[in-house]
Amino acid sequence: MTETELTRKLLPEEKNDEFIAIESETFLQAAWRKFRGNKRALIGMVVLIFVVLAALFGPFLCPFSYETQLPEKNAPMSLLHFFGTDKFGRDIFVRILYGARISLSVGFVAAIINLIFGTLYGGIAGYVGGKLDILMMRLVDIIYSVPPTLYVVLIMLMFGPSVTSVMIGISISSWMGMAQIVRSNVMSLKEQEFTMAAFVLGAGDSRILIKHLLVNTMGPIIVTVTLMVPQAIFTEAWLSFLGVGISAPMASWGTLAQDARSLIEVYPMQTVFPMLAICITIFAFNFVGEGLGTALDPKQKH
Amino acid sequence: MSDMQTQTGEPLLRIEGLTKFFPVSGGKRLFAVNKVTLEVGKGETLGIVGESGCGKSSMGRTILKVYEPNEGKIVFDGKDITKLSRKKMLPYRKRMQMIFQDPYASLNPRLTVGDIIEEPMTIHKIGTPASRKAKVQELIGVVGLKPDHIRRFPHEFSGGQRQRIGIARTLALEPDFIVCDEPISALDVSIQAQVINLLERIQKERGLSYLFIAHDLEMVHHISHKIGVMYLGHLVEYGDADEIYKRPKHPYTQALISASPVADPKSAREKHRIILEGEVPSPLDPPPGCPFSGRCPHVRDECRQILPDMYDYAGRKVACLQYSPKAQGITLQ
Repeated sequence: MTETELTRKLLPEEKNDEFIAIESETFLQAAWRKFRGNKRALIGMVVLIFVVLAALFGPFLCPFSYETQLPEKNAPMSLLHFFGTDKFGRDIFVRILYGARISLSVGFVAAIINLIFGTLYGGIAGYVGGKLDILMMRLVDIIYSVPPTLYVVLIMLMFGPSVTSVMIGISISSWMGMAQIVRSNVMSLKEQEFTMAAFVLGAGDSRILIKHLLVNTMGPIIVTVTLMVPQAIFTEAWLSFLGVGISAPMASWGTLAQDARSLIEVYPMQTVFPMLAICITIFAFNFVGEGLGTALDPKQKH
Repeated sequence: MSDMQTQTGEPLLRIEGLTKFFPVSGGKRLFAVNKVTLEVGKGETLGIVGESGCGKSSMGRTILKVYEPNEGKIVFDGKDITKLSRKKMLPYRKRMQMIFQDPYASLNPRLTVGDIIEEPMTIHKIGTPASRKAKVQELIGVVGLKPDHIRRFPHEFSGGQRQRIGIARTLALEPDFIVCDEPISALDVSIQAQVINLLERIQKERGLSYLFIAHDLEMVHHISHKIGVMYLGHLVEYGDADEIYKRPKHPYTQALISASPVADPKSAREKHRIILEGEVPSPLDPPPGCPFSGRCPHVRDECRQILPDMYDYAGRKVACLQYSPKAQGITLQ
């Protein structure tokens, strides 16, 4: 091909009529738009907001404290005692509201510890790679090989039975999932050209890891955290039901169910209410988590 | 094109015997770049061609120290940067940059165009936030995008526009030398021309040097002052772009050029195509002697034993034994 032919082929100069018709959306705006379209997730979120508000402010609006023992024991549902009273004459509704505080805070604290620790651990293992990665991931395998209940029981033995011990125990036994998810995402993202671009531009390791790798892992991280909350609530409830969790007079939902167990044949509703609280909250969290998963996945448009 | 060819003194970039290998399982080594020596002058474009897997991109990345070189030297503007630490490399990062192949993968999808273009200046602490913003505005104009594109995200742009965002990011540091790693191979033909024109315009305005990696010989011939042809990690022919394109000497270059399509059907019919036998050998198990010996139509016995040097022949360097001083019958004076 001659020079002139080539020039002709190259001539069409860049036309400056390019414009983008759709409104610009940030990542979060797009996620919110998709989330809003998901009815189940939306219902889940409304329920969650309600549960959290009830846990925060509900006890102030009630005439009784969670340990007030009223004369009428095992009272049925009434306008004064919405869910009745238990065998010591304590208002079950009020105890469930207080229980929500404990159950939710165990869930949130465990999720936040997982978020921070799991993200950093997985991020570093995935980014550095090589021998350090192998070492860190084998440690994860070892922690995985011990049943989670054992951690909680051991920590209870060491620090005494308290909410804090339960939180620590649950956190220790559940951050590995987050670490693995973050690690695998970081590993595939670091092979992308934009990571190399950041390196060539002179970006330092922490900048590359946080601004380029972890920011792009935000979706899976948020979903994992959201699903970790109900998991921690469930673990706590189950431990309390077995009697190794939170003890009297404080009450989580698991403890309430455990307390009512002895009377299950006579007053079944006393067990049903705390269990309903657990179920509804966990369902709500799972719906929200599932909705976030779809909303934060850039490949899914609607 | 030829007005830029005049250059004096030390070249901007010189690599000598540059070698990069990757260890693979079984204790073997994969030589991606094998003893490559070449230069890029100021304001000059060196085009690198070769089929996929021949080590073009690895060479570009090794020059920018994305991969640590195993042997050889990289000399930039008179300074040996081969062994510089990542920190000491920083001032050179400002001057040596890269444009990437895949405009879809080379921009962080979570950052706005403005953030992407500003980031290099933030990393190198250039200017104040306000002056950086002004610079972003200016660069957006230079690459032919609009000011309101700054707040948008990469996924809202076409491939060609994204490539121009990448170019703007590269220009933010005002580099002297850019490795263009197949910057147009992922784009439509009409968009390729835009990006090539943009690169040429920027070169004229700023006196930049390019190492232009591509497999489209036509395009490389058009944009380059010099051409280097790579095969299996080796540089096999290196010299003036026009000379090599019109009168290739290495059998591999000849085959490569004979394979490039010709637009005119009449001359296409007359054109003699060299069909190469066999496959590219695995870089893990290269043939002894000349790497091209297994497929070369002019292969001789000695080719299978001796690895040819780069011989001076017809105003260029060729790594083929038929041009060795011995074969030419030239005796030293």
